[in-house]
Amino acid sequence: MCNTCGCAMKPADTVTIDVLQGLLAANDRAAAHNREHFDRHRVLVVNLMSSPGAGKTALLEATIVALRERYRIAVIEGDLETDNDAARIRAHGVPALQITTGSACHLDAQLVHAALHELPLAGLDLLFIENVGNLVCPAGFDLGQHRNVTLLSVTEGDDKPAKYPVIFRASDLVVLSKTDLLDVLDDFDPARAATALRALGGGVPMIHTAARRAPALGEWLHWLECELRARRAAPLRAPRVDAMMEA
Amino acid sequence: MMHELSICQALLIRVAEIAAVNGAAAVERVTIEIGALAGVDPALLTAAFAVMRAGSCAATAALRIESTGVRIECLACGTESPPKRLICTQCGGYRTRVVAGEDLRLRDVELRLAGLPELAQLPPVPEPSGLLRRRARASGPGATA
Repeated sequence: MCNTCGCAMKPADTVTIDVLQGLLAANDRAAAHNREHFDRHRVLVVNLMSSPGAGKTALLEATIVALRERYRIAVIEGDLETDNDAARIRAHGVPALQITTGSACHLDAQLVHAALHELPLAGLDLLFIENVGNLVCPAGFDLGQHRNVTLLSVTEGDDKPAKYPVIFRASDLVVLSKTDLLDVLDDFDPARAATALRALGGGVPMIHTAARRAPALGEWLHWLECELRARRAAPLRAPRVDAMMEA
Repeated sequence: MMHELSICQALLIRVAEIAAVNGAAAVERVTIEIGALAGVDPALLTAAFAVMRAGSCAATAALRIESTGVRIECLACGTESPPKRLICTQCGGYRTRVVAGEDLRLRDVELRLAGLPELAQLPPVPEPSGLLRRRARASGPGATA
């Protein structure tokens, strides 16, 4: 605005530069770079998200027990503090790297990129990234993963997809966890959760799991194996970073 | 830390790059677009900007936020539904594609120039290797226990 009379004319020494770039362009570029690393090594990368305590680490422990004879698995753990989760994973004989974010409420592509320098990808089939427990912030940051999976535990409300639409919409699969507890809960209806998810559009599938007392992992392991097969069948030549950023 | 802080930090870094490559004396105004489905709260971002701009070339800059509404298209019947709907209003289909409302974009930057205006330039988005931050504290051995 002009300082003399307040008209819309700009003073001569100002210039407006059209940018029209994503606010997270730097993160997206780092994510595309990570994805190239993953594709070069033919490793399937799954980003696990949920609220704290929904059972991400327990699901990973049960998955490792079920699949470790057939697939080489590694885990990147994200938490604000402690390496408790990485220690739980390592106890199953699988490499695990802990990222402690300090105060950050989510992982970003640069944090994962730094972790990759300490985690050899050669020979791996499957890499899980367990994001910081949080149903809001992790949804906005591409890490370079191939699939986003969000857990919804039956000890939370069945209206969670309606309350946190962004993260559930960003998911390729929703895992209803701790379903062995459904018998003792009278306030969680899986059908209502499915309806709330469907109301978000996009048709994200939902499967049921129980990871601890009486493990029920059939649908989950089937989904993973389909994804692993699809990843192996994908062309080895990774797309160029620029092309992926435009996609 | 809410993710609006991370987004604000990324915004200020990008604005500083644009100001530097154009030899600006100061940043007058930054305009961004936030879609209703972007998961970013405009009020939180505005509050973050007011604090984080201090000491930067954008220390006195105004932040203008343009909110964009949600529009979806049904994958089954192709109908575009009115705003605020995520499932098709025509056929009830839930397989839909978001046409608008997920944007999170830096639209433009208004700069006060130190010298004569030249052709405006956009710096390239930095390589990932140059983005490694000191706060990236990866701990623990990658080897099995």
